[in-house]
Amino acid sequence: MKGTQYIDPQTPAEPSYRSGSSAAREVELISRIAQGDRKAFEELYGLYHRRLARFLTRLTKRYDVAEEVINDTFYIVWRKAGDFRGESQPSTWILGIAYRKARNAFRSSSRILAIENPEAPPPPLTTDESLRTEELRDWLVHALVQLPVEQRLAVELCYELGYSCEEISSIMSCPVNTVKTRLFHARAKLQKLLPALGGLVPKDQGDRSSSGAGVKS
Amino acid sequence: MMAAGQYVTHEEVWLSLPWLANGRLSQAERDRLEPHVQTCSTCREELTLQRRFCNALTEPDRVTYAPGPSFRKLMERIDSAPPQARNDTARDEVARPARRPVHLWRPPGLAWAAGFVLAIGLTSALTSVYNSARPLYQTHTDPVRGAPNILHIAFDRSVTVGEAEEALRSTGARIVEGPDSSGIFGIAPSVVASADTIPEHVSQEMHLLSARLRADPRVRWVEPIPGDDSSGGAPAPLSRGP
Repeated sequence: MKGTQYIDPQTPAEPSYRSGSSAAREVELISRIAQGDRKAFEELYGLYHRRLARFLTRLTKRYDVAEEVINDTFYIVWRKAGDFRGESQPSTWILGIAYRKARNAFRSSSRILAIENPEAPPPPLTTDESLRTEELRDWLVHALVQLPVEQRLAVELCYELGYSCEEISSIMSCPVNTVKTRLFHARAKLQKLLPALGGLVPKDQGDRSSSGAGVKS
Repeated sequence: MMAAGQYVTHEEVWLSLPWLANGRLSQAERDRLEPHVQTCSTCREELTLQRRFCNALTEPDRVTYAPGPSFRKLMERIDSAPPQARNDTARDEVARPARRPVHLWRPPGLAWAAGFVLAIGLTSALTSVYNSARPLYQTHTDPVRGAPNILHIAFDRSVTVGEAEEALRSTGARIVEGPDSSGIFGIAPSVVASADTIPEHVSQEMHLLSARLRADPRVRWVEPIPGDDSSGGAPAPLSRGP
């Protein structure tokens, strides 16, 4: 069944940071960091800063908190580089550290946000197709805020950062089935939220999550 | 991981759609799942939606993040940290399970606790052995029981208190203890010895008193003075059988 045409050709391309050559380069950088090479450290920091800043700013809604989490993460990378044995991909190792830092930061920053910055939902989706993707992102971000933190992180790691189920399992230190269950419940909630927010999902599909019945929380 | 052509359920495909959408399934997994997606309109529509989610969330940023200032802050923090801490701290920050440091000497902990329990048990056992070696009864010849210059006497059960008093009075004795739960009296000579009386004379008086009482048929037995070598501490023969 290879090459069937119903598959959306817009499948996201493999991110360049996860390619084999990129992973090998990162392993080399980590090895140099273990020797105290600051240039290598700066290069690795630059490779991850953008994607972590985007991921964490979306998660915490505050760049200062995101920056703190990034620096806490790389502080550990600097100190523990000598312990990295290549048993996992460098990105999985680094994201695993960032995940634990972010989870704690998210819990404290979300409490601050609830008091200081009650955010209004974005306007309804436009009919202009060129703007729909951008607006969908705004709606998704708005809907993600309403998910439990573990489900939200699983969504971000899968959809935004493009990790496989096994990689997310490693990053979140949980079984593969738990990752699938978190995504299952997250999708069900998003599908209930999005039709109401912008008419994205057809009304007769509003409760399609039941199609995957049998998954327990 | 999964063999192509293997049976797959709708629920299994449904759970895997996010990774079919983000392109992270292996070829074998795709070969296994895609036939179902082709025939299931629900999964097909869900896959389309999932891909839209992926595309929306991977859109280029409208914000540019500059790592330079953040990196400088991080390096200041690293430089201000103690250098020796580099490989010794933050053990709990990585997914690898933490290992306990190995020491040549360990705090006693359990070993001490076990030793303490053993000592308590041993002490308890020795105490039990000692107690079990001791008789569970006392006799009137027991040195700790008898007081000096006192005889213990048992009368026949048929003897009344008045008869007993009469018998004692006639032999020059008086009751100084009892009777106890067994009907045993402690008696002493009626004439109290003065402080300057020679101990040998006192002993002789007690032996004479004992002999007089044993001669009385109403007396079952009279116990000699404890510790008196002349009597040997042996029980006196019963004046009359029980």
